[in-house]
Amino acid sequence: MMNTLRSEVVRLWRPRLMIGWLGLTAAAAVLINMVMFQLVGEGGSTPPAGPGVAFPDAATLASNEGLIVGLSAAASMFGVITLAFWATATASDTSSGLIRLLVAAQPHRWRLIAGKTLALTLLTALVTTVATAVNIAAANALAPLADLSTDAWGTDLAQVAGEAWLNTFATLVVWRVIGLALAVLTRSAAAAVSIGVGYVLVVESVITAAASDLAEWLPGSTLSALAAGGNAVIDYGTAAALALGYVVVGLGLASVVLTRRDITD
Amino acid sequence: MPSVSTRDLTRRFGSVVAVNSLTLDIPDSGVVGLLGPNGSGKSTLIRILLGLIRPTEGAAHVLGQPISHPAAYVHDVGALIEGPAFVAGLSARRNLLSLARLRGLPATRVDEVLEIVGLTGRDREPVSQFSLGMKQRLGIGAALLSDPRLLILDEPTNGLDPAGIVEVRALLRTLAEAGSTVLVSSHLLSEIEAACDHLVVLRFGRLIFDGPMRDLLTQASAHIDIAAEHPDQTAPLAEVVAAAGWTVTTLDGAVRVAADGADAANINRTAHAAGIALRQLVVVQDSFEDIFLSMTGRTDGELAAARAAGDAEAGEVGGTQ
Repeated sequence: MMNTLRSEVVRLWRPRLMIGWLGLTAAAAVLINMVMFQLVGEGGSTPPAGPGVAFPDAATLASNEGLIVGLSAAASMFGVITLAFWATATASDTSSGLIRLLVAAQPHRWRLIAGKTLALTLLTALVTTVATAVNIAAANALAPLADLSTDAWGTDLAQVAGEAWLNTFATLVVWRVIGLALAVLTRSAAAAVSIGVGYVLVVESVITAAASDLAEWLPGSTLSALAAGGNAVIDYGTAAALALGYVVVGLGLASVVLTRRDITD
Repeated sequence: MPSVSTRDLTRRFGSVVAVNSLTLDIPDSGVVGLLGPNGSGKSTLIRILLGLIRPTEGAAHVLGQPISHPAAYVHDVGALIEGPAFVAGLSARRNLLSLARLRGLPATRVDEVLEIVGLTGRDREPVSQFSLGMKQRLGIGAALLSDPRLLILDEPTNGLDPAGIVEVRALLRTLAEAGSTVLVSSHLLSEIEAACDHLVVLRFGRLIFDGPMRDLLTQASAHIDIAAEHPDQTAPLAEVVAAAGWTVTTLDGAVRVAADGADAANINRTAHAAGIALRQLVVVQDSFEDIFLSMTGRTDGELAAARAAGDAEAGEVGGTQ
């Protein structure tokens, strides 16, 4: 398994790829903070949550969580970026024909999935750290422009930032597994990204509107709640359990499909 | 012990039988050619041997290990399958390093392989900037990483210039002389003829030849093309030669005689005795291409298979009416 991990890290550590992923994540962190603090600065009412984002109110921004609340507010946005990255990284193995060499060298195909999962987890930790750092910097820079009191921001900073990092990391890991599973199932980066993004932006909203009882079981809602450390709809424990379920199902499905499928690409 | 052996190996894709009850033994050293028209089952056979797809029926062993447990032999097998496949944005070195890591090999092996395939000095360039020939060299390099006992190469000279082809041929010969088995699948008959000791020929998924190259070449027949000095003597020439016991075919201004070179003088004497002077007498030996085409047919394999399927379907429809 360590061999597959080391092999994956060599392939994934590409400057353009990493700069693209980290850059998009950083840009999303800056963007969400700009919008959050602008809305509060204008003094208007907080807009309702939309697909991929949930804006905090002024009181939340002024609390000791205000410094890092952008992470949970844009959890789905970060998630979609992560899903797209992993779907592309996984599906390109098939579209390039590289999967033939990989399976010919490592016939225990589940190890390929495990190695890729481990590599992706390491890189997701890096991305989460970048997102956290950029979010903190952006919040510090933008709060004065919104004339917002930041006196509470230093209270329990390490604990608050640590919990936010952990929740965001856990959320992105689940999005990553969904991206990997979609890519293994569809064998196409375009199809996997389209399905993933389309689901987050359209399908889950439609399902939620049509059957609100289902919302707390759906990935988007579950992962938003996980990123926020629990919310009014789904408590933290339930969100974590559901997220774990998505990981188990996603990895299990990807492993079974890759193990049983003929490599004809 | 053969490096590869199959017994009644069959693989179906729906109604298509890609490999059909294949039983063969590939020797444990030398350069072995795997030949067949398009759709003959070469790629399917290679994929089965590498554990990429599973057979529907039958059994096979690679290096003495059953293909149901490819982990037992893949460390001794290297392959270039249907062209080189790499991460375009990565350098040649990092692509090989990734595969070396997967096999648990040290980075120094990457340097050795780059030297063997002649890519030292270009190894830090992204593969996306490589020509087809350079990608092919890199693909061969990837196959050589594990210093394999069995090397499976699908169209290894594709995209190489003449000097590169000669270089690869010499490399294959060197590997074979060192004790490895090199299984080469190619459409280039001249390459197979020049490089291989042993030949496996498939058609419609079935084995039609498995043996030393020299055994196949002994199947080559010859004929003698003769032409009379005056074109109006072509028909009389055919008659006298046929009357002497040879089988003849009249061509445009010439006569083809089913005979080998040993009969050339007698044919000349026969014509001379009939008062016909020959302006041409050429002994023609069948080429490897002629032998191959006579075995596999002169139609593209996939087209022939499609036509056969179409005919069968039409027959079935007709039968129900």
